[in-house]
Amino acid sequence: MIRLEHVSKVYKTSTRPALDDVSVEVDKGEFVFLIGPSGSGKSTFLRLLLREEVPTRGRVYVSNFDVAKMSRRRVPRLRQSIGCVFQDFRLLPTKTVAENVAFALEVIGKPRNTIVKVVPEVLQLVGLDGKEDRFPTELSGGEQQRVAIARAFVNRPLVLIADEPTGNLDPDTSQDIMLLLERINRTGTTVIMATHDHGIVDSMRRRVVELAFGKVVRDDARGVYGVGR
Amino acid sequence: MRTSFVFSEVVTGLRRNVTMTIAMILTTAISLGLLGGGLLVVRMVDKMQANYAGKLEVSVLLTNDVSANDKDCTQQPCAGLRSQLEQTSGVETVVFQNRDEGFERFKRIFEAQPELLKLARPEAIPATFRVKLEDPDRTDVIKQAFEGKPGVKGVDDQGKFLERFFEGLNGLRDVALILALIQAFAALLLISNTIQVSAFTRRVEVGIMRLVGATRWYTQLPFLIEAVVAGIIGAVSAVAGLVLFKAFFLDRITRNLTESGIIPPIGYLDILFVSPWLFLVAIVISATTGYVTLRLYVRL
Repeated sequence: MIRLEHVSKVYKTSTRPALDDVSVEVDKGEFVFLIGPSGSGKSTFLRLLLREEVPTRGRVYVSNFDVAKMSRRRVPRLRQSIGCVFQDFRLLPTKTVAENVAFALEVIGKPRNTIVKVVPEVLQLVGLDGKEDRFPTELSGGEQQRVAIARAFVNRPLVLIADEPTGNLDPDTSQDIMLLLERINRTGTTVIMATHDHGIVDSMRRRVVELAFGKVVRDDARGVYGVGR
Repeated sequence: MRTSFVFSEVVTGLRRNVTMTIAMILTTAISLGLLGGGLLVVRMVDKMQANYAGKLEVSVLLTNDVSANDKDCTQQPCAGLRSQLEQTSGVETVVFQNRDEGFERFKRIFEAQPELLKLARPEAIPATFRVKLEDPDRTDVIKQAFEGKPGVKGVDDQGKFLERFFEGLNGLRDVALILALIQAFAALLLISNTIQVSAFTRRVEVGIMRLVGATRWYTQLPFLIEAVVAGIIGAVSAVAGLVLFKAFFLDRITRNLTESGIIPPIGYLDILFVSPWLFLVAIVISATTGYVTLRLYVRL
């Protein structure tokens, strides 16, 4: 599903590589935590998958896409098969919950009748039925993140990328969000989540890939956040 | 492509940036208005050249003595001059017009200006041979042959006068076009800036669009259409401006000249004829500026 082969990324403004000869393979339906301190290369890793960045060396494959080599015109296709969730939710404040979710479909040209059918379905899946007409500012942080997850998932992506999705949430709410991500993972969607949250990683016991200074220093099938903790 | 989505984005974009949008529309309108004015002058000169072609005459003005004493051109030197003119090769017709006839004609041309008529005396108008040539460009022949002859006060070449007049008009046209160009440059910068501001205020939206895999057309089209819509509104205002200028200003100051047939009137039809060009220019400029700006400055 996702394969990085000897990937290095050097930014023009830095001498030290953000990623240094990283090779990782993720199968379809896996749930992977990407951990490591700030500056360890987690964000670069995720940006490479989305082709926000192109690797300096190495190959990146997502599904059937040769991400590093593909033409710019095909990039939208790649991104339509990847859903994204962020720490800061990135909702549109002028649109309601339902409109925020529908936006993701409108801008890729989905027909109206599809949109009116699938938006309520996904809002029910994330537990927001009844709040369709609220605006983001009227929701709690956890609810806002559910809207973001609904938007990322509404087009049924093959991969869901979550960049510290619980970073702004309290532990209880974080647990709820993790349950939701697990539920999405059970539908066969591959989930890759970058996080600093020890508690979550330790309690979930999923695959953990740890980065330090741009290198993979650990890849445990059922890992915890810190060894010996 | 969902057109309703694109257009709702365009409307919000224009409303959100309302001050910039108005500035953009106004500069575009002024630029296009000047361009339209220039094009109208071009049309007017063309029309005049067509009007006067074949009608241009050389006037051989006679001296005061002849004008006063020889009303029918039966005496010398008048009769002799007439036969010489008629025998000159290239001359089509020769018409004698005595002082009284000349004064009548003068009164006809300037009937709209009674102040001028009050001052005019028949004595000021010389008797004249109005000579029509087969080739209107060969006026020099007459001038050389008859200037300075006894009884001839001077030779007046309408063509030369018209040339000077056209030069004046062409100068006017050039000024209008240069101003149009400068304004167009200002409009271009404003369009570019408006798009950048617009893209900046919508960066979250555009960011999401890119992430969920919207094609470049989907992300860029609202900005492009925004620029083009403003351009079109500018063109509409420019055409309206030209119509108002004609109705309330131009018609008033050129009434005498147009009624006496000296210059052709600029009609609404002429404005209708130049306006498609204004729209075309507006659309092409705003779309290209928009496209280039998006390519160079805005990462979408």
